[in-house]
Amino acid sequence: MSFRHRISLLQMLCEESNMEMKEKIAALENYIMQRCLWQFHSRAWDRETQNTGILGITRQLLCGEEVDLSTPAQKCFWVDAACLADGFRSKFPWINEMSLPEINEMMDGLKARIDYVTIHGSLNEELSVKLY
Amino acid sequence: MPYHTFKCSECLPDRQKHAVIKGPGEDITSCLPLGNLNTIPGTITERGCAYCGAKHVIGTPMKDVIHMSHGPVGCTYDTWMTKRYISDNDNFQLKYTYATDMKEKHIVFGAEKVLKQNIHEAFDAFPNIKRMTLYQTCSSALIGDDMDAIAKQVMKERPDVDIFVCNAPGFGGTSQTGGHHKINIAWINNKVGTFEPEIKSKYTINYVGDYNIQGDCEIMTDFFQRMGIQVLSSFTGNGSYDDLRSMHKADLNVLECARSAEYICNELRVRYGTPRLDIDGFGFDLLAESLMKVAMFFGDDCVAKAKEIIDEEVARWKPELDWYAKRLKGKKICLWPGGSKLWHWAHVIEEEMGVKVVSVYSKFGHQGDFEKGIARCGEGALAIDDPNELEALEAMYELKPDCILTGMRPGEVAKKIRIPYLNIHAYHNGPYKGFEGWVRLARDLYNAIYSPVMNLAAIDISKDDFDTDTGFKTRTMLSDPGTPREELHTEHMYTGKMDIVTHLRGKTYEFPAPDKPVTDAV
Repeated sequence: MSFRHRISLLQMLCEESNMEMKEKIAALENYIMQRCLWQFHSRAWDRETQNTGILGITRQLLCGEEVDLSTPAQKCFWVDAACLADGFRSKFPWINEMSLPEINEMMDGLKARIDYVTIHGSLNEELSVKLY
Repeated sequence: MPYHTFKCSECLPDRQKHAVIKGPGEDITSCLPLGNLNTIPGTITERGCAYCGAKHVIGTPMKDVIHMSHGPVGCTYDTWMTKRYISDNDNFQLKYTYATDMKEKHIVFGAEKVLKQNIHEAFDAFPNIKRMTLYQTCSSALIGDDMDAIAKQVMKERPDVDIFVCNAPGFGGTSQTGGHHKINIAWINNKVGTFEPEIKSKYTINYVGDYNIQGDCEIMTDFFQRMGIQVLSSFTGNGSYDDLRSMHKADLNVLECARSAEYICNELRVRYGTPRLDIDGFGFDLLAESLMKVAMFFGDDCVAKAKEIIDEEVARWKPELDWYAKRLKGKKICLWPGGSKLWHWAHVIEEEMGVKVVSVYSKFGHQGDFEKGIARCGEGALAIDDPNELEALEAMYELKPDCILTGMRPGEVAKKIRIPYLNIHAYHNGPYKGFEGWVRLARDLYNAIYSPVMNLAAIDISKDDFDTDTGFKTRTMLSDPGTPREELHTEHMYTGKMDIVTHLRGKTYEFPAPDKPVTDAV
């Protein structure tokens, strides 16, 4: 096999793997959008805080890391995150087979996608209103 | 953008961005109507005014209060008794409605004197009631009566009373949503933090954004209390004025209707650091997860009790829900509420009752509500913001739904074209919250869709050519055609009681002792 062929085969494998990861992220996004309410606070800064807090803890739980529950706000994030992580594990059993780097990659992609859908790509004109 | 233009609104360019169809592959970044904008003059909107949103949605469910409108009698009278927000003190807040009865002469000469006189008269007439809310209307706002000053004078003269002033005139917003906002902010600015509650449990919450329609709030409060959680206040269904002054003391704000009450939760979070947890009180699956979330916030003892409640309730009511789901499968519904049920129900009603939501709308929802609703509903759903009567009619003719879930005004219009409607504002036979409540909703939906009257009403008796030899068909004959009688009774439809709320009143609960406050050791 020529070098060029090997490269193109590698590229195809990477694309397939990316495709597979995209599909996984889409499935998780769909799950969140149909079941959860935490991502829909009324202002962009609130959504950013919610997405970072809850998806950050979800990642920690999926990776088996310890979670900081020292403040009421953290505890409230953890409640949503714990239910989300449980839901992910039971609805999408393939998560249990993933390595830690794969989970991290997936959660990075999911966070970017939820931020896009609820903040950066959102058509909601009230997100930038300064007061509640 | 997949905007939908109604034929009847082709002449109204301003309506072009108020309806969308969720097509294949669409999400809320490509499919979202405008929302919370002024209604176009001339269209027949179903919205209410800001005064109505403040007083009749949020203020009046408070149960131990005289709710006085400072304006013409019509403002309060025409919106009286429009919602069944019951209470455990013999429905005091529903029995009476109060207005200062402003006339033209007051517009010219001012109405502060008549306001003060009315406040005194009302307190004299109900000597056991020591709390009052005062609502501005368009008339009193336009002439600039200083209601706050009058309230202060009366409180000075009667030291045992407390009065809350809400300046939300009818014109103060695009719809009732303007009033929701104003009363939320006025309450936290003026009343929260002015009363110290008795803390009975280690775990305390405010239950926010539930108005106790036919007992919804009491059903949820019972769950929380069985879990060992003290509900310090309920905003505002079956809520007590003084309890609501002590909202700052709760550990957690549990929020149902974010449309009408997220403002106060957000402010409580900013000012007092109380977290906000959004939940769904409807549907088996989402409700179970919501109860678990609240329990998890407090700890393992709470979680064990929540699990017990969920297991017991699901075992008792799931078979009866399934009875209805089997017969409702594939039926098309339009989910046309005022605000939050748009997203509370959009997905779970399809999942658990088998119906197909073909359209969602909101009268006063903001774009954020449509984001939630459109994210949760399926492909092909038509989402409409602030529809007018002609658009709603066109949608019904186009979509041919089996039932419309909406309020009384659009519901009566639906009946005229022989589409049954279910009242999801004041409810037909609620409560609809809780596990049993969800079965009651399924029962009411079944009764609406399979009502024999819909067939009979379709017969044009002005002509002689209709069949006279076909018999009357019952609901069961319509929903289970050809099924032998003995097989019909192997499963059960709803077997609960007519009144499932009254027995909860007076129940006692055990709470874990609150932590003692930290004091300086001697």
